[in-house]
Amino acid sequence: MSFDADVIVVGGGLAGLSASLTAVREGLSVLVLERGEFSGAKNVSGGRMYVHALRQLVDISEAPLERPITKETYLIKCSNRAISFSFSDPESRNSYSVLRAKFDPWLAKKAEEEGVIISYNTLVLGAEREDGGMTVRTNRGDLRAPLVIEADGVTAGISRSLGLRKLEPHSLMLGVKEVVKLEGPPEEGEARVLVGFVGELLGGAFMYTNEDTLSLGATVKINSLQEGNKMARDLVEEIRESLGVTGEVLEYSAHLIPYYGYDKLPPLHAPNLLVTGDAAGLLINDGFVIRGMDLAIGSGMIAGKAAKRILSEGKPQDTSVYERMLRESFVLKDMYTARRAFTLMNEERLFRRYPELLCDVLARMFKVEGERKRLLEVVQEEASKRGLTLTKLVRDLVKVM
Amino acid sequence: MDLLKRLGLNKYNVDKKSHIKVNLEICRTCKEKPCIKVCPAGTYERSGDVIEVHYERCLECGAALVACPFNAIEFQFPEGGISYRYG
Repeated sequence: MSFDADVIVVGGGLAGLSASLTAVREGLSVLVLERGEFSGAKNVSGGRMYVHALRQLVDISEAPLERPITKETYLIKCSNRAISFSFSDPESRNSYSVLRAKFDPWLAKKAEEEGVIISYNTLVLGAEREDGGMTVRTNRGDLRAPLVIEADGVTAGISRSLGLRKLEPHSLMLGVKEVVKLEGPPEEGEARVLVGFVGELLGGAFMYTNEDTLSLGATVKINSLQEGNKMARDLVEEIRESLGVTGEVLEYSAHLIPYYGYDKLPPLHAPNLLVTGDAAGLLINDGFVIRGMDLAIGSGMIAGKAAKRILSEGKPQDTSVYERMLRESFVLKDMYTARRAFTLMNEERLFRRYPELLCDVLARMFKVEGERKRLLEVVQEEASKRGLTLTKLVRDLVKVM
Repeated sequence: MDLLKRLGLNKYNVDKKSHIKVNLEICRTCKEKPCIKVCPAGTYERSGDVIEVHYERCLECGAALVACPFNAIEFQFPEGGISYRYG
């Protein structure tokens, strides 16, 4: 049987475009299958990209990024009390707010200019391994290649269709978001992490400043939605109202977020298959940064290089070199570094008990009522009220350090 | 802002046929109907002792793939569907 391309890339988002650009530069013929009418049509991100990987891929001086993020703010709310702190670094050009329906088409155009063929409006229905290659079934007929790069996002349709994995509610978060028109003069690019805005649900909220809009939303564990009393559909509106954001709402969107962590990563490769980006469960939350897009670009680029090596060997079944290359790169090294912090970012106490503990401790420290206790005693007392010990607190603190 | 108004801001190219199928026999046995809480688009609404599917509201987040603990929802991405303008 003949092949339609050296590599079929399923999905024309960041991972898929990075993989295809790299593979074409390596001299391979590449076909990208994108279900949207354009790249980005189906993509939603919270809205912040760390651009180090993108810089390795393309010249970003013309990239339609929104604003450099120069201010990091944490806002922790516990009923009427609130804690906030900010860090400003006006010169930073390390990360930018981004709107994917604007950014992805730009990257797709770059890829097309370098010879990547993208087939839009092409919905992949499944894949099968046969005759030393992979057959990809689409709404436009079957396509074949010796190697498939899966870049179809968090729902990982190819891996599921091959029986390599199942999706589980506890390893997924739901992200809901609104894009709101920015009122008043342009502000500096700010990323706000909002704690205590989603009630009993396990998760948090965010707000990013774009060029002339704001992205605000929430990310919550699916299993906590199933068990709780809140409706996903109400989350963003509640947050918008509690923040007093009154600008015109321009778009309402939703997307799943992979929440696996290094210790629970899904299979990253199989015979004739390399898995990248969200489909590979690549996401880091270490308490300081939440990042997936640079890991998508990084893993995509590595998949493109690995594809060349695999096909040169003439054994597309043997794809293990891809995982070895990922392990040598920032992608899996950073996933590994963040693994203990990530486990903490998955704990009930982080979302519920710690914010309240912090608020109650500060409330007592900032109050004078005759006999005064030391901070350590106050922390100890407040912790034990919540079934926590100082040792436990210190252990958790060490996890993020 | 009301959910339907918010969904009305989005650009859809709705398929003729639903991309979501529900096994009503299983659905009938489920009291809680967590899918209603999980779906951010209000695609699932209670109708008697089963759910009614408004597939044209779907934001294609994929939560439907895990929303039902009894696997009564069969979800595939639509051929048309949403085109985000900001994303």
